[in-house]
Amino acid sequence: MRAYLEIFRTTIAEYLVYRLSFVLWRVRTVITLLVRYYLWLAIFEKTPVIFGYTESHMLTYILLSSVISHLVLSTKTADVAGEIVGGKIINYILKPVSFFKYQIAKDLADKFLNISFAVFEIAILIFLLKPPLFLQTDITMYIYMIYFVIIGLIISFFINISLSFIGFWTPEVWGPRFIFFMLILFFSGTYFPLDILPTPLYYATFLTPFPYFFFLPSRIYLGLPPNHLVVFAIFGAVWVFISYYATKQLWLKGVRQFSFFGR
Amino acid sequence: MSNSIRNLKIFLLFSKYSIKSLLQERLGIVLFTLGKIIRFAMFFFFIYILVAKTSTLKGYTTNQVIIFYLSFNLVDTLSQLLFREVYRFRELVVTGELDGVLIKPYHPFLRVLVGGVDFLDAILLGPYIALTVYFISISTGITLTSLFTYILLLMNALAITVGFHIAVLALGIVTTNVDHSIMIYRDVTSLGRFPIEIYREPLRWIFTFLLPVGIMMSFPSQSLFGLLSIQGIISAFVVSTGFITCSLFFWRYALRKYQSWGG
Repeated sequence: MRAYLEIFRTTIAEYLVYRLSFVLWRVRTVITLLVRYYLWLAIFEKTPVIFGYTESHMLTYILLSSVISHLVLSTKTADVAGEIVGGKIINYILKPVSFFKYQIAKDLADKFLNISFAVFEIAILIFLLKPPLFLQTDITMYIYMIYFVIIGLIISFFINISLSFIGFWTPEVWGPRFIFFMLILFFSGTYFPLDILPTPLYYATFLTPFPYFFFLPSRIYLGLPPNHLVVFAIFGAVWVFISYYATKQLWLKGVRQFSFFGR
Repeated sequence: MSNSIRNLKIFLLFSKYSIKSLLQERLGIVLFTLGKIIRFAMFFFFIYILVAKTSTLKGYTTNQVIIFYLSFNLVDTLSQLLFREVYRFRELVVTGELDGVLIKPYHPFLRVLVGGVDFLDAILLGPYIALTVYFISISTGITLTSLFTYILLLMNALAITVGFHIAVLALGIVTTNVDHSIMIYRDVTSLGRFPIEIYREPLRWIFTFLLPVGIMMSFPSQSLFGLLSIQGIISAFVVSTGFITCSLFFWRYALRKYQSWGG
């Protein structure tokens, strides 16, 4: 356990060395959030309710989904692809630590920093922009929300690391990740809550892993009927299993046929 | 004249090498193009259902908002097509290879600014132009004069992107950080996907005159719809000239500070 705590600590220390990079990354996330925020604010100028959302519900969704997305999607596992292609991964495999636990420790450090900054930034934006926000009073919604955040974290970790494992077979590792991010942009609810889509399309998105990342936790905060939540909870658990199994298989097959030229 | 022909020949030579190296990554070509098509189509769909539902966005009709979006895509795609090499500039700085570029008997911009034309974007440029022409043709109230100023202001927008990219190069020399600053440029310009009017003051002023995203992305469409005064058009050209001049000063300053980092 101490070894993984040390990895957590050194990952944070590494970020603190490249402070400018991290600050610039955070600036980028604030800019993209502002686009979404002002777009919806402009839309609600002449319409009190749109797609069943009031202004306060929509702006709460935009801000909350932004925070949750930083927690769920921030990851260091994208680096693994380069380490596989460059052969560096052999250094991790030979060490007396679990490769997956090592990656989890690094990921947790990354998430810790990102969520800390995201909460701070959103607090400043709320203070400056003073948006009308919705406050959920039903405690069960918070419990469901936490459940789905955990589901999203697990699925996100496995899918992200699986995308890096593509490096075992081809050096062209960025293409699939680029498509993954494009799909997240829309099917995870970055720009709009997914339930504004036509109903069949909305339900079809739950057959993919995307809504579990941050749409569902954010939407649950605004309130969802309990019978829907049970179905989504089962679907989410299925996706945890699928992503875990796929990752395990990719890793085993990848490591079995992995070879590289040494230095 | 002979100098211009010589520069053109060097530019074409670099472009030929760029295509050759691009063709080494065929899977990447397919996946990145697919990702860009997904992004374009999804935003198009989102804008369409959003503005169709609310009738107008800040007074603009659905067709007009789509023209804003298409104009953004034209400028953005053209700038990525021409200035892709800027994304790879950091490598030249940190390895010291920039020395080799600076001592060559041609202007360094031929190599570091336009030396890596990205033909992936050329694939998408055709459909963007066709769609823009189509949506302009079905719009009402467009005159030959407004069409002329629209094209002029698109060219002016491209000139501003030159300024932005030169500034990023200069920043790269001073800080060795290019990756985040170029992505911040991309994020800032993405504010122009929608009419600049959706942003409130003082943000709108900042994104119009200080970081002239509004002039780049919104002014061409506004002039097309006859909503831009003659003063507005003149100010667009004044700002772009000032912006490029400042970028060139910054570039010269950075070159004076350059100490050849690599080795």
